[in-house]
Amino acid sequence: MAVAAHPAASHHDHIHPAPTGFVQKYIFSLDHKVIGIQYFITTFLFFCIAGLLAEVIRVQLLSPDSHFVSNTTYNEVYTMHGSMMVWMVIIPMLTGGFGNFAMPLMIGARDVAFPWLNMISFWIFPVSGLLLLTSFLVGAPEAGWTEYPPISLQGPPGTSLWCVAIFLVGISSTLTGINFLVTIWKMRAPGMTLTRMPIFVWAQMSTAMLSMVATTALAGALAALFIERTFGVPFYDPTKGGSPILWQHMFWFYSHPAVYIMILPAFGIVSEIIPTFSRRPLFGYKAVAFSSLAIALVGFMVWAHHMFTSGMVPWLQLPFMILTYLVAVPTGVKVLAWISTLWGGKVSFTPPMLFALGLIALFTIGGVTGMFLAAVPADLHEHGTYFVVAHFHYVLFGGSVFGLYAGMYYWWPKMTGRLMNNNLALWHFWTTFIGFNATFLPMHWVGLMGMPRRVPVYDPQFQTLNVIASIGSFVLAASTLFFFINVFWSLTRGPKASTNPWGARTLEWMIPSPPPYYNFKKIPSVTALPYNFTEPLPYVGGELERPSPSARFVGEGA
Amino acid sequence: MLDSRPANRGSSSGFLITAIVLGVLSAGWVGYLLKTPFSGFLPEAALPADQIDALFKLLAGMGGVVLIYVLGYLLYFCFIFRRRASDPVDAVGLHTHDSVSLEVAFWVVPMIMVVVISVFSVQIWQGLQTSPGNALTVEAIGHQFGYDFRYPGLWDSVHQELHLPVGQPVTVKITSSDVIHGFWIPEIRLKADMVPGLINTLRFTPTRVGSYTIVCTEYCGVLHGAMGVPGTAQSGRLVIEPVSDFKKWLTAQSKAQGPAPAAAPAVPAGKSAAAGPGSAPVAVAPGDAATGKALFGQKCSACHSVGTFDQKIVGPGLGHLLNDPAHPALVTGEKAAPVAIVHILQKGYNGPLGMMPSQTQNAISDKDIANLTAYLVSLSK
Repeated sequence: MAVAAHPAASHHDHIHPAPTGFVQKYIFSLDHKVIGIQYFITTFLFFCIAGLLAEVIRVQLLSPDSHFVSNTTYNEVYTMHGSMMVWMVIIPMLTGGFGNFAMPLMIGARDVAFPWLNMISFWIFPVSGLLLLTSFLVGAPEAGWTEYPPISLQGPPGTSLWCVAIFLVGISSTLTGINFLVTIWKMRAPGMTLTRMPIFVWAQMSTAMLSMVATTALAGALAALFIERTFGVPFYDPTKGGSPILWQHMFWFYSHPAVYIMILPAFGIVSEIIPTFSRRPLFGYKAVAFSSLAIALVGFMVWAHHMFTSGMVPWLQLPFMILTYLVAVPTGVKVLAWISTLWGGKVSFTPPMLFALGLIALFTIGGVTGMFLAAVPADLHEHGTYFVVAHFHYVLFGGSVFGLYAGMYYWWPKMTGRLMNNNLALWHFWTTFIGFNATFLPMHWVGLMGMPRRVPVYDPQFQTLNVIASIGSFVLAASTLFFFINVFWSLTRGPKASTNPWGARTLEWMIPSPPPYYNFKKIPSVTALPYNFTEPLPYVGGELERPSPSARFVGEGA
Repeated sequence: MLDSRPANRGSSSGFLITAIVLGVLSAGWVGYLLKTPFSGFLPEAALPADQIDALFKLLAGMGGVVLIYVLGYLLYFCFIFRRRASDPVDAVGLHTHDSVSLEVAFWVVPMIMVVVISVFSVQIWQGLQTSPGNALTVEAIGHQFGYDFRYPGLWDSVHQELHLPVGQPVTVKITSSDVIHGFWIPEIRLKADMVPGLINTLRFTPTRVGSYTIVCTEYCGVLHGAMGVPGTAQSGRLVIEPVSDFKKWLTAQSKAQGPAPAAAPAVPAGKSAAAGPGSAPVAVAPGDAATGKALFGQKCSACHSVGTFDQKIVGPGLGHLLNDPAHPALVTGEKAAPVAIVHILQKGYNGPLGMMPSQTQNAISDKDIANLTAYLVSLSK
């Protein structure tokens, strides 16, 4: 691949002076690393709020005819839980958080291409999150995170705030997508051809393309919903000539690719962690890199599989079904490549590795149930039931959230310069893993047996399994405490992290922890893929710290 | 699944043993699926349910085997290739060249599985599309919060209970009068969304006498949950009964509804278009078109134009009711017959096209109805 990836060297040889004031340094920072951490702090705050909302759902469902909260409150709670988890937690954390912090370091850049734009992207996001939360004051949206009209047209005033908030956060993620794509395309270190990029960078690139293209459809749909709610222009109301199905097409044209926006970066994180802790090169680098692009591409052509029961020309169901099946191929390639990387390795079960392995197991389960939902005849039974809820929590929690925990443990020493507590992390992993499965495994069964989604009351025959799910969710909520205690422990008394505590080989581990604001004193040149543990590091120049590729494992017992 | 070829020092036998153990587990899973009828968990109450369960079994079989092998090898590799305490700190794993054939297999094997599943899915899908002959057509209309059902030969809708004769193929035309609802009968394994302004279709043949809950699967408002819990006022029931019982029930409904306005045309099952202009043996009271026109201006024109059916204000345009091809063929045979106009003016309308008030709500007399009907009929000439 003869791509000239050299411009970075000549243009960025000089180092900009470091910002001095507190505001420039920590509030309106232009530094991608600080912005990344700002994303993490904000998303974890929203994560806690949205997680507590989920617990309200689970307490309500402890009994089939519970009055823990009113029906209206219940509807608000699950709508906000879903909306926040998708738009205010998973997407911003995996792109804005990890993409910002790690991606420029991994390609040997001093920052993203447009630091000002990056700062603006970030600050739009907490504003939209707060706007979404204020909808609780005026009557939060009630129709689920999908907000299907016509009922969303009649929804409480907060529904309009929801439109605005999601529209804004969509702008944020579009701008981030543009920024990252340009960064990856133009600012790689000399010698880092496309096929020498770390897999995480490939994942961010595919994700950036998805964000840029798909989010515009959502923006259009949201604008129309807002206009119809506010000014009565009938886009969706069938009694005035609108079409409720139009919303569904536009919404899912974004929201299915969004599923891949939410999982591809997590796949990227896993693809970095598995080789590092197996001490082996990633199996099938090109296949794994290409599969991200393939998922992104096919991901654009499957949206209507969310609408098999909504009403469309029957024959159209077939291409959507088969294309959806096809997504299993590149995804399967990734899973098999990860497992093949373990083969012959020296596998150490550090916290990031455990979460990465957990992701492989749980995402595979979610992938298999995805096939059940893609099959039109089977979907006619499963659609709109708890089976769907179980499925997407296996891919979004078992996949994305396990991926982001893996990434947090992996890059934490680089971000903060401190190590985390291994025992707390192990407790975190096992309680999360057990709590997660106890919560979501039973949902498959109640769904197939007849329990629909989004209900505050249910047929008493499903109570036992719902109680198990609720207890599981309490364990899951408690498990998060281990993580936050660990964060606190590490920041206050965690041992100092070396440059490269994991013995990893990508560029971010060649500079101090935490990295200086300019990242690289001199931009290094890249001569090969990073993952070959038996070869010398493939970097020339750059005044790197050059830690031994087999640095000791301070992760254990630290 | 995984290629067993790569020869690793000391672990290829373990690899094979694992393959065999996982194979036995897989065989156990597939065997369990083959001998376990899903109707034991949830009855199959109608004909395509067996097909859908068969596809489900195929997916569960293949998906289960994939999971057993993926998770099995994940655990096995983690165990056998774990870093041991005796390993030097800088120990690295095996550095081999990627096996190209293995990589190709990783693309090809999932591809083959996708093709197999696609072929089966398409076959079963085709079975769902074909309409068995001589089907009984009924309409199901969702509303906040409940279901209305309309039968051929019944003027008025039946609330909450859908009665169907066992063994008779059925086509259910599904829509909503307000927001989107779901129409799901778990024992039939079929559902369709009830979308206002859109008619979805489900086809099945009831095979098992019994009473089943109709579950709403799309959020539809504050009592959405109650629409799926048996025993609530909002929940619907599907009652599948012997043909004789069904006929008795239909007769009882007909009696309970009282005499239809100007005698409803008896529409044979599945022939909703039978009541063409003039073909229905109905006596519509004679009226005066000119008086009707004036009344239309006062009472109707706020919502209805006298243009074509598509020229909506709130309700459809009523200019060419008897000969406008856009006029939907409703299951009760209300298309294109003066008697249908009379009926809607009397009873009002609540269905896919919206909601129209009844005679009492509109405060119009029988004479007014006769005049309006005469006017509307005259527009079609």
